[in-house]
Amino acid sequence: MKILIRQARIVDPNSPHNGLVKDLFIENGFIQSIDDRIEKEADKIVEADNLHLSPGWMDVFANFADPGYEFKETLETGAMAALHGGYTDVMLIPNTQPIVHNKSGIEYLVQKGRSLPVNVHPIGAVTKNTKGDELAEMYDMKASGAIAFSDGTQSIQSAGLLLKALQYIKTFKGVVIQLPDDQSINPQGLMNEGIISTQLGLPGKPAMSEEIVIDRDIKLTRYTDSRIHFTGVSSERSLEYIKKAKKAGLNVSCSVTPNHLFFCDEDLETYDSNLKLNPPLRTKKDREALQKALRDSVIDCIATHHLPQERDSKLVEFEYAKYGTIGLETAFAVINTAMPGENPETWVRILSLNPRKIFGLPDLLIAASQPACLTAFDPQKNWVVELKDIKSRSKNSPYLQKTLTGKVVATINKNQLFINQ
Amino acid sequence: MSLSSKHLLGIRNLTKEDISLILQTATQFKEVLQRPIKKVPSLRDITIVNLFFENSTRTRISFELAEKRLSADTISFSASSSSVSKGETLLDTVNNILSMKVDMVVMRHSASGAPHFLAQHIPAAIINAGDGINEHPTQALLDAFSILEKTGGLEGKKIAIIGDIMHSRVAQSNIYLLKKMGAEVVVCGPPTLIPKYITEALGVQVEYDIKKTLEWCDVANVLRIQLERQNQVLFSSLREYNLAYGITRRLLDSLSKEIVIMHPGPINRGVEIDSDVADGNQSIILQQVENGVAVRMAVLYLLADRGQ
Repeated sequence: MKILIRQARIVDPNSPHNGLVKDLFIENGFIQSIDDRIEKEADKIVEADNLHLSPGWMDVFANFADPGYEFKETLETGAMAALHGGYTDVMLIPNTQPIVHNKSGIEYLVQKGRSLPVNVHPIGAVTKNTKGDELAEMYDMKASGAIAFSDGTQSIQSAGLLLKALQYIKTFKGVVIQLPDDQSINPQGLMNEGIISTQLGLPGKPAMSEEIVIDRDIKLTRYTDSRIHFTGVSSERSLEYIKKAKKAGLNVSCSVTPNHLFFCDEDLETYDSNLKLNPPLRTKKDREALQKALRDSVIDCIATHHLPQERDSKLVEFEYAKYGTIGLETAFAVINTAMPGENPETWVRILSLNPRKIFGLPDLLIAASQPACLTAFDPQKNWVVELKDIKSRSKNSPYLQKTLTGKVVATINKNQLFINQ
Repeated sequence: MSLSSKHLLGIRNLTKEDISLILQTATQFKEVLQRPIKKVPSLRDITIVNLFFENSTRTRISFELAEKRLSADTISFSASSSSVSKGETLLDTVNNILSMKVDMVVMRHSASGAPHFLAQHIPAAIINAGDGINEHPTQALLDAFSILEKTGGLEGKKIAIIGDIMHSRVAQSNIYLLKKMGAEVVVCGPPTLIPKYITEALGVQVEYDIKKTLEWCDVANVLRIQLERQNQVLFSSLREYNLAYGITRRLLDSLSKEIVIMHPGPINRGVEIDSDVADGNQSIILQQVENGVAVRMAVLYLLADRGQ
């Protein structure tokens, strides 16, 4: 296929064309030429006002619910949601049925992933069935294509076990992804413990239960000289621990969800079950700290925490509703709306360059003869999130009917073009 | 005059004027309840369903009586005997009932925010009869009515709420109401039973010393210790709770003044309150129950919206 991209501002700090407005000609999945003006016959033309072009985006924490929960999402619908949101690469958490905790689980995803328009990167479970008591066969999973290891939505509780896991993955340069949460503290908590939870009469979960685990796991990382990534960091104090660890030269990285940059606990006023998240939405002050940490590179990347849930599991009392929101399709617009005026290069760094580096994928480069793995976006376009446009099988989004600024125009990957209407 | 809200979801959403209107209306209904014929036709042809997804004796009977005294048609339903045990969702249950032309819903539910959720999805007026650890607005209204009756006012009154504040919707609604009406509120109990952010969130003072608290207050509202929470390591034993926070005759006699004792029921005698205090002359526990009917009549009447 031949694709012509007209007059796009290239945002790729590694590219010789960074910051310039260019035409790109793509043929058979490779960037063939980049020039001020290209006059060539193409099958498809990508053209829009204010077009920006980034190396393809990568999400580090999404659930496609396949196998086992295909009524929530499948690999196919998840892939479409990813493309719709500008993602060419998605790391899939192991919380499926069965759990992805062995070679065959990884191979299923790798195999099926070949025919998908996005690159899926399976994350293998750290412990068998994500139960937190026995190490899973991580070596074997790594050899089959696991990109990293995590118990996904299950936080690893035992320090002793995590210590062993961190040591174990060193032989093959693995990374453990931890969702930090001490489950022994207020296990019945449904939202952030604070002024708002007290006013709403909802059981609270203190930010401390996240901070304790981060502090502890940093110590484990130092002891083992291994690598850890904290996903969905949500509290100001957590960031302090991470900042300090980074300064000390430890191999610690972290990500934040778009939801935590956009909402805060005050938005739970209406008991909206789509805002029932783990980690929970924290205070306004935490949100400000997260935004600052993103600008200051304390936070490395965005993790969408794309957790599709069918309608019935959300259309219930807050306490009984399942956790999570879908997030791939709105991620960019949400962060761009939450932090207006941010330099597009910041977004490219946290959506593409950093996650690829942390999880060991080869660098992408917008230059001639490089593979065409690209995301085209307009950071100024306003749009309304409509139910009918959601590609994910589940529609549990707190952004429906909201006007957001910044839209993905097109995604190019595996010699395919996905144009966002 | 009418209320600012279509539902009674909690005291949090009410204005001071709403609260005054309910209390004034309740005074009129209390007078009705002293008559030889205690029934008025105000809610004739209005159908009310009482949905109790959690055990209740006092509140349910109180609502049913209030509805009958107003001549409403009522049906009552409790979770153990309903389709809920077959796995039906709350929304399905309520929609099924509403399709039989029911005008108002009185609901008690173990999940905080359940009535707020329902209010977003159904057209009928909803009265919250207790949701999780969030609110129990009619209890707060009847408590305020009782304080008013006994002491003549709410503004500037010193009210202590004692016991398990953390899990108490009664405490939450009482605090919202009393603060709105200008009373001073102190909560007292073991730190494990007091929410960490209560002062910032609700504007009340926290005191751990029971003697000091009682010495300070005009009225002590003693909460029930929920025995079912015993396994959560909130205090070591009921005996020890009684030693530290139980309201005893001796404690009351040691105070420099006579205070009013309230309790929303049901009482654990010998745990949070001793029998001679609960049954003594400083206690207005039974008046609270009596006032509950008048207050609930007022709420139902004001929310029925008969197009007046």
